[in-house]
Amino acid sequence: MTETDLAAYRHWATTPLQTKPTYSVVIPAYNEEWRIIPTIGAIATHMCALGEPWEMIVADDGSTDSTVELVADLGLANLNLLVADANGGKGSAVRRGIFESSGEIVLFADADQSTPIEQFGDLLAKIDEGYDVVVGSRAAVGADVASKSLSRTIFSYGLKTLVQTLFRIPVSDTQCGFKMFTADAAMLLFSRQVIDEFSFDLEILFLAKKFGLRTTEVPVTWIDAPGSKVDAAKVAVEFVKDLIAIRRNDLAGVYATDNHHPDSAGVKAGGSIPSQTNRQAA
Amino acid sequence: MNIIPTVSEIELQGRFDAHEAESFREIVDGILANSASLSVVLTAVDFVDSTALAELVRAMKRCREAGGDLILVKPSDPVRVILELTRLDAAFTIT
Repeated sequence: MTETDLAAYRHWATTPLQTKPTYSVVIPAYNEEWRIIPTIGAIATHMCALGEPWEMIVADDGSTDSTVELVADLGLANLNLLVADANGGKGSAVRRGIFESSGEIVLFADADQSTPIEQFGDLLAKIDEGYDVVVGSRAAVGADVASKSLSRTIFSYGLKTLVQTLFRIPVSDTQCGFKMFTADAAMLLFSRQVIDEFSFDLEILFLAKKFGLRTTEVPVTWIDAPGSKVDAAKVAVEFVKDLIAIRRNDLAGVYATDNHHPDSAGVKAGGSIPSQTNRQAA
Repeated sequence: MNIIPTVSEIELQGRFDAHEAESFREIVDGILANSASLSVVLTAVDFVDSTALAELVRAMKRCREAGGDLILVKPSDPVRVILELTRLDAAFTIT
């Protein structure tokens, strides 16, 4: 980063955008007082260096620690803090953040910076190739995964096998908290999302396949951040339940295109399925 | 013979987080056993998490108690911004 880049950060930090952002970065946050400020700093510095207008959205998920106060106190001009009254699950926080976003491209990234923001460009390159959904992957060839616990490794392998067997989703890691969408794809998918807990990623990718969105994955560097809130054993049980729920929802027509999540009322983008012509032309 | 405290210097690279905190502490404690001051070059560090910041604060306190100082040398922009957002830029000596 040059002196000019640091100046770009300082301008972003103090001056509200006058134009529609090109990029939106959504960070779901539940009790992240220990981790979120360095993450905000790293993301803001990197994104400002890209030279495009962008916004950050921190979607609190009913935190009971000082996460909300800490983020609010930063007073960053282009950071939109969404406060939730209660803990609704990571999926609900991401959804609220997506619906509040205005960027042409939307990334959601975990609050622990376990996938460094420096990989934003790798995912963006796939959007530029015409993909609607690009998933950071810890399982794809070329991924660099550090300090992952044995329980999470076994858990991830189990998930991958289950998902590929049951849903045939074209990505090998559905759960990495680093996913990028075109705005239209994001609004379409999250307006149909009904699962708010850990498995919401899987549901989003299932819907992307169902609606014919172009989806791919990009190998990422991933560092297991201490303090992870993922309880592998507990989550595995919930995940299997959600797999069944997604199938049941699909058969029951819950994901029909005329059904919209109530949170999507007033959302800018219509949430329609992109035409095949448009997707091929993208 | 008098032993005169000197300024030692270490350079960090990459990501400085909780995984690196223990080894950082061991190295710093070893240096501060013979020196009151320490310069930490942060030019090539792209991220510091809260645990890393706590280690830097701990080292700073130890230096100052010994009559020296911990100096953060040319922090990268992300590190500089993180120091500002946490308001630790006012606590450290940064060159």
